[in-house]
Amino acid sequence: MIKKSPLSIGKISLLLALLVWVVLVIVDLVRIFALINNLDSGIAEEVTWTLELLFFLCLFLLYRYIFKKNRQADFLTLLWSGASSGLFAAGAGLLTELIYFNLGDSKLGSEPFLQNIFYHINFAWTAAFLFATALLWRRLILYQKSKQVVKQWQVFELAMGVALFFVFFNHNNLDYSFLFGLVILLFLSILLSVNLKWIPYLTYKEKWKSLLFLFLILFSASILFYRILSYGNEARLLINLTDNLFLMALFGFVFVYGLFSFLVTLFNLPTSSVFEQKLTEAINFQKLSQSIQPEENEEQVLDILLDSCISASFSDGAWIEFNPSEQLQLPEALRFIDSDTHAALTSLLPAKNRSWTAPDRSDPLLPQAIRLAHSTYKSALVIPLVVNRNLMGRIVLLKEVKEGFNKEMMSIISTFSRQACIALENHRLLNQAIQNERYQEELKIAQRVQKALLPLHLDHPASFDICAYSNTADEVGGDYYDTYKVDEQRFVLIIGDVSGKGTSAAFHMAQMKGVFQSLIQLGLSPAAFMKKANAALSKCLERNHFITASIFSIDTEKQAFCHSRAGHVPTLWYRAQENKSDFISIEGMGLGILRNQRYENHVHEKTYGYNPGDILMLLTDGIVEGKNEKGEQFGYDRIKTLVEQQHTQSPQEIQTLLVESLHHFVGGDGMIDDDYSLMVVKFN
Amino acid sequence: MLQIEKIKEETYDTLRLLGEVDASNSVLLDQAMQEVLQQGTRFLLIDGHELSYISSAGLGVFMSYLDDFSEQGIRFAIFGLNEQVAEVFHILGLDQLIQIVPDKSTAIALPHVS
Repeated sequence: MIKKSPLSIGKISLLLALLVWVVLVIVDLVRIFALINNLDSGIAEEVTWTLELLFFLCLFLLYRYIFKKNRQADFLTLLWSGASSGLFAAGAGLLTELIYFNLGDSKLGSEPFLQNIFYHINFAWTAAFLFATALLWRRLILYQKSKQVVKQWQVFELAMGVALFFVFFNHNNLDYSFLFGLVILLFLSILLSVNLKWIPYLTYKEKWKSLLFLFLILFSASILFYRILSYGNEARLLINLTDNLFLMALFGFVFVYGLFSFLVTLFNLPTSSVFEQKLTEAINFQKLSQSIQPEENEEQVLDILLDSCISASFSDGAWIEFNPSEQLQLPEALRFIDSDTHAALTSLLPAKNRSWTAPDRSDPLLPQAIRLAHSTYKSALVIPLVVNRNLMGRIVLLKEVKEGFNKEMMSIISTFSRQACIALENHRLLNQAIQNERYQEELKIAQRVQKALLPLHLDHPASFDICAYSNTADEVGGDYYDTYKVDEQRFVLIIGDVSGKGTSAAFHMAQMKGVFQSLIQLGLSPAAFMKKANAALSKCLERNHFITASIFSIDTEKQAFCHSRAGHVPTLWYRAQENKSDFISIEGMGLGILRNQRYENHVHEKTYGYNPGDILMLLTDGIVEGKNEKGEQFGYDRIKTLVEQQHTQSPQEIQTLLVESLHHFVGGDGMIDDDYSLMVVKFN
Repeated sequence: MLQIEKIKEETYDTLRLLGEVDASNSVLLDQAMQEVLQQGTRFLLIDGHELSYISSAGLGVFMSYLDDFSEQGIRFAIFGLNEQVAEVFHILGLDQLIQIVPDKSTAIALPHVS
């Protein structure tokens, strides 16, 4: 029994209250019997008082438990519970009165024991009502409590606690100390009764209901009080439980706070519509401030906005219209007006409020009140909706009176519209961010796919070493290189570069690979290869795109290579015998520039013999055109010098050195703004 | 950075390019060419004295109008390119399709090539 669940507290206090009450009745009846028969019952007055005190305590615990349990109950439910218990207690009292009225002067009517039992029953109901109401008042007083109010209440509770024991010193005499105590407690009650913060939160209808309930509480309290007073004057009742300072003070408190609440509610009635309006506005504002989720639509926000504007301004009609570029449509764009009226009113608006030109920056875009020359609607308020600095729409509110829109309305409406526009803007930005993220993902996939288009392994015989490297400015790029083994001694090297960079270049690069891979199978000579490639690519490249390429057909047995260049950056050839390097100069036009037979006159091929130790360095323009902070280009000479100095190194090392040198030149953080690739071949 | 100045003279139009033409601004060059063509020019000159760099995307713009020029008999020439930029035209082989000359007077004196 040490562990008490909250449920048992309520039941235990109820049982205890009943038990104490039964004991109280028995004790009192014994005492009355003794009094009537002039016997000594051996039971002191104090026993009655102690039992009464215990009964009060039990009631206090019971109602405190009930109120704790119903913490979520609204004010009206609470008031009704108070009023109903009051009606019940008062009804029980009146019923007793009625019974005694009917009994008249019969013997049963003057039976003291029965009278006392009825008295005890009424006493119990009255006490229960008073406790219920007092704790209800406590809840109301401490609504939106401050520290000060809590302190006041604690003082009041303490004073009531002292009053509970007062009877032991005062012995139920209505002397000055009783009056003094009563005055102090009433003063405290009045002090507490100014805490009526719950009233403004009631709606107009709720106020009427609470007025009724408060009236019922006051009415019941008055009847019960009157009856208690009349008991006090009745000689038949030999034991008086109710001339008790605590009970009187409780009456006072219940009555005073009830009266205050009643009057304040009554006087609050006329202004309650204003408060309700403000509350609605606050709720609307909160609705508009909530950012829209990506999957929700903008129409909902605009719908709420239109509703809010209408209710905030008490408009007689309204419509919302959108910039044609927005492609927005609201199912209920017209409110309280038909389409004919709408057309008529639109034509009455100034031209400025009809056009969709971009808003002027100097224009603060506030709601604008307009006087209308219309038979029904005399004034209008035009509220521009601006999202991302674009006039996306406007709301027009209508009133049947002239100058129907005051400053307060305009300011709240402007706040509404701004808030809604911010919500829309955020919604759009969020959607954009999500889309961007998706694009990023797609680009990553593209990057992976494109990397796979470049060869992992470069075909080459023991007679030459080869390595290659490619880097893109964006996620994907337009550079391409490959090698192809024709037979044991013949190999083809190819490098290509699509004009521009990024995604479009990447798609063309994939086409280029397809074309090159097909043509390379045909065993064409380099110039014939370029002619065919031009013919094929001319059909698939966009008009303003072209491809440059270099091709080398190496014959390791003859130690010679045949080379053709199509608008591509010339290839550096380091000749070991002369210890000298040069860019191979051979004329040749880029692929896709001349998209007809005439191209064939613009491409050539030439065969060169090479020696062991010779180096070929195939490049794309990203390397030559790499720029430093001063705007200087990396240029051909730096490449040439580097290869001449590092010719003893392996192709891999030369490649690494060149890329490092390029990065060093461009500068630490400088990004190379183009795709760049290179392929290094060293003959053994 | 690219700035394009349009200069209209009696028998020819000149587009003066200042700065660099790269992938990010080649669309501006394209727009300018488009406008001049729509205004019905018969002779278009590009002044490249202040052109410090042209990327392949910029070259692509010139290239894409070559068919229009030959179909409509519009004369087109570029003059005043610095060595580096002229080299870019040369490597690509565009100098075989476009008249690239040292200065404006040479450009104006060019015979009409049909």
